[in-house]
Amino acid sequence: MMMAALIRRPPPAASAAGRARMQAAAAVLGLILALVLAALWRDALPAWVVRPPKGWLFDLAGPVNRFLAWLSQEAAIGPVTVKGLTRGIASGFALPLDLLQGLLVKGIDLPLPGGTLRLAALPWWALAAAAAIFGHWVAGRRAAGLVLATCGYFLVLGLWEAAMQTLASVAVAVVVGAILGIALGAAAHRWPRLDAGLNLVYDVMQTLPVFSYLVPILLFFGFGPVAALIATVIYAMPPMARNTTLALRRLPASVMELASMAGCSPRQRLFLVLLPAARQGLLTGFNQLVMLSLSAVIIASVIGAGGLGNVVLQGLKSMQLGRAFEAGLGITLMAIVLDRLSHAVALRRPAHGNQRAGLRRHPALYGALAILVAGLAAAQTVPALRDFPEALTGSSGRTLDNFFAWANVALEAPIGAVRDGVVRHLFRPAKEALLALPWLAMAGLVAVLAYAASGAALALACTAMLGFIALTGYWDLAMTSLYLVGISTLIATLIGFPIGVLAAQGPRLGRITALVIDTLQTLPTFVYLIPVVMLFGLGDFPAMVAIVLFALPPAIRYPMDGIARVPKSLVEAADMAGCTRLQRLALVQIPQALPEIMLGLSQTILMAFGMLVITALVGTRGLEQETLVAVSKARVGEGLIAGLGISFLSIMADRLITHGSARLRRRLGQG
Amino acid sequence: MSDTSPIIRCQNVWKLYGPGAEALSGQSASRLDDAFLAARGLVPAVRDVTLDIRQGEIFVIMGLSGSGKSTLVRCMTGLVDTTLGDLWIGADNLRGIEAKRLVDIRRRRISMVFQDFALLPHLTVLDNIAFPLRVQGMGREARLKRARELAELVALTGREDRFPHELSGGQQQRVGIARSLTTDPEIWFLDEPFSALDPLIRHEMQDEFLRLQGTLHKTIVFITHDFEEAIRIADRIAIMHDGRVVQVDTPEGLILNPADAYVAEFTRKIPRHRVMRAGSLTRPAPAQTEGTPVPATALVADIAARVLASDRPVPVADEKGAIIGAVDRDRVIAAICGTDAA
Ligand SMILES: Nc1ncnc2c1ncn2[C@@H]1O[C@H](COP(=O)(O)OP(=O)(O)OP(=O)(O)O)[C@@H](O)[C@H]1O
Ligand SMILES: [Mg+2]
Repeated sequence: MMMAALIRRPPPAASAAGRARMQAAAAVLGLILALVLAALWRDALPAWVVRPPKGWLFDLAGPVNRFLAWLSQEAAIGPVTVKGLTRGIASGFALPLDLLQGLLVKGIDLPLPGGTLRLAALPWWALAAAAAIFGHWVAGRRAAGLVLATCGYFLVLGLWEAAMQTLASVAVAVVVGAILGIALGAAAHRWPRLDAGLNLVYDVMQTLPVFSYLVPILLFFGFGPVAALIATVIYAMPPMARNTTLALRRLPASVMELASMAGCSPRQRLFLVLLPAARQGLLTGFNQLVMLSLSAVIIASVIGAGGLGNVVLQGLKSMQLGRAFEAGLGITLMAIVLDRLSHAVALRRPAHGNQRAGLRRHPALYGALAILVAGLAAAQTVPALRDFPEALTGSSGRTLDNFFAWANVALEAPIGAVRDGVVRHLFRPAKEALLALPWLAMAGLVAVLAYAASGAALALACTAMLGFIALTGYWDLAMTSLYLVGISTLIATLIGFPIGVLAAQGPRLGRITALVIDTLQTLPTFVYLIPVVMLFGLGDFPAMVAIVLFALPPAIRYPMDGIARVPKSLVEAADMAGCTRLQRLALVQIPQALPEIMLGLSQTILMAFGMLVITALVGTRGLEQETLVAVSKARVGEGLIAGLGISFLSIMADRLITHGSARLRRRLGQG
Repeated sequence: MSDTSPIIRCQNVWKLYGPGAEALSGQSASRLDDAFLAARGLVPAVRDVTLDIRQGEIFVIMGLSGSGKSTLVRCMTGLVDTTLGDLWIGADNLRGIEAKRLVDIRRRRISMVFQDFALLPHLTVLDNIAFPLRVQGMGREARLKRARELAELVALTGREDRFPHELSGGQQQRVGIARSLTTDPEIWFLDEPFSALDPLIRHEMQDEFLRLQGTLHKTIVFITHDFEEAIRIADRIAIMHDGRVVQVDTPEGLILNPADAYVAEFTRKIPRHRVMRAGSLTRPAPAQTEGTPVPATALVADIAARVLASDRPVPVADEKGAIIGAVDRDRVIAAICGTDAA
């Protein structure tokens, strides 16, 4: 009886899942068919379906320009003008920045009653020694060696001043970003309602192209390093705030209760209990803050922030590729050092034994401080000790330039052939197809996908965002951006996925891969442009290569980790069922890891957008170019709106995929 | 053993979780039946609890996971606000208590030990122990001196400079216990303090706990879901089931007179001879008994060997030494085998 019933009834879950899969497949096929038909018959369609007619467009840039001009010049809150306020903030930031840059690079003019006293900057040897001691203290001997090597690199190639200037900007941005991020993160933890709103703001901040808010910042805070600093904070602060909230939320409830039971005041609760207990999570955010700050400081050289970024930019502009390459390598070294050190700080756990107070507790730090003080004193008295001996410096200069020139010529034939082939047979058709699509068909497709992935709210939000792009008149540019990101993501996935799957096959392979992509991931976006421009020149193709390189790490990492995380029992069950390795992979591991793989896809897309924004510098044509043009022509409104367009595109892609992945995860019963 | 004056009094205490639970705080409790709660999606974590905890007693709260033990204790400590009902700590009603007064009570009169220890990872053992004093603004020297005393009390001398992650689980909970004692509170709340520990360590910590209480004489509210642990330490036990307190009694009382089938089931697996006392097995003394009388308060486990070895019943005496009856082999065997409830 029982057996018969069991046999006759097919397993209900399987049939439901099967039906759902059939439906999904049918829906996707139908949609694709509709899109193809729409693209083919666009001439037969009413014009307003293909593109919004002129009359529908509204000019948002004008009002935005006028509003920002008014706000930055005339608006006042009571007796205080906004301009006064923002300039006040600017000078508040300028002070520590000037001081630090003075100490590291320029020297300081102290206004004294009897005239100004010139204080020379810290000499190179004191800084290098102190940095090496600090590196040794946080991360051991190898890190100290790395620090020294990096210092040596900058000194010998005559990049010391530029490097110190970059370092000063990064340091001030990190301090400001950390204070702001922790404050906002703690507030979002304290008032959960604030959290949702802030998250939305962070999403926009993190996806908005840097170029699109550079000009507004100039408008409010004036030209100069402070503007670059504020742009940097906007770009780099959100992960700090998010990690703070996350770390506080992850604290066990009992830690919160302990604070209450001990009778803490709100301030004691925050500073004595919550923040110290969440230290580990905060430092993870700090590491990201440091890396993103470096990335942004380099980009900010576009508005003349100086430093290493500027050297690269000048090198690229004047085709002194050797110099650009040297500075780029320097940035890479600096990124690796900063990542190592801030990572090591995050991993440090207190241990008993180093509990002695003051000087005896941290002899190394006091030693480093003593060297700095001695260096400062020596620099004032013995000028010979101040500068790195000229005789020891040098630049590969011409040699490298010549090498690149030679390589360019030598490689032009093979590279050119590949490039032209890819552009002709892949890029152009893809771009044309995307541009051929009627905007209403595209919006409809996205809305349906959003509805399927999450529900009406997301569908509505996506429609609104696409509507914004279309009705502000940026549809064609947006599709141009989308095509580049789409193709790059596709290529990154095609390369990354097999590597990830392969790397998941053995722990050793996995470790090596992780090491490589961790290093790749620490590099600022700007660095990727340098070799790409050298090899491929300007245009969509080099942009694509840069995007693929930059977006590759998550495309590898997520499949790798996802497969490695498939429960061991499932893998063993597959083996016991007699699966071959390939079957096991195809039937068990990859399907189980699918949600993670999809998350990887969304990360890949986000990274691709992050790089796209910078590829404007190598002459791409989409929305990103509009934001860069807005910088050079000081068109505030246009830049902001185009930037919002990019921000919307990436937020939409991210939401569609993460919601889809969450849905899939529920279906697979993974929580 | 325990004074009779209540120091904690719960009167019809309710705690509801779910949408709009706070809004119900003015309601009359009579409306809060199952249908009403289910319709609104409210979870009654604690429902209609009335009980007194006496000065100086060890009061154990027991129940299955999710029965509301932690929530009840968090109501008593003001960590969560009760939805309905009054809850008195001494002369203070926690309902609508001023925040300042509550902080004061927590700083001086009550303290808590947590299941997951809740040690602060960035502080040493000594600083963790001294933490409540630091919050009160006591100077560093003074509070570390006090912390050192407590570290000695819980046998952590020599480990004062370690960090929590450098200690074993048992040692970590010793820190938690020491910290909860630094302010010399009157009432000591312990929420499953030993359930994260291995059985052997748990047993050792129970001994330690009883030794401490022997010198401290605090009022103790102790949560556990381990009946063995409860009968080892409890003066009285409250059994919770779905948010209700279904019975409050001595360990023996629970076994002898379970209020309902749930309590009976709960106590069924307990070796009776480790809970029941000679007095409850006593029958009218027959003409012939054997040997010196055993006290009526002696655990059956402790007299079993003697009774089983003797051919005749053994006499039982009350506190004053008067013979109140005798206990025989059959009854002890029945108690050990659990075949007979009385
Ligand atoms: N903050 C909360 N929000 C919603 N429901 C809660 C909350 N805290 C507790 N509950 C619910 O109240 C009920 C009682 O929980 P409580 O933690 O008091 O049980 P417990 O007896 O301590 O269980 P355990 O032995 O697992 O610790 C449970 O159904 C729980 O889901
Ligand atoms: Mg509990």
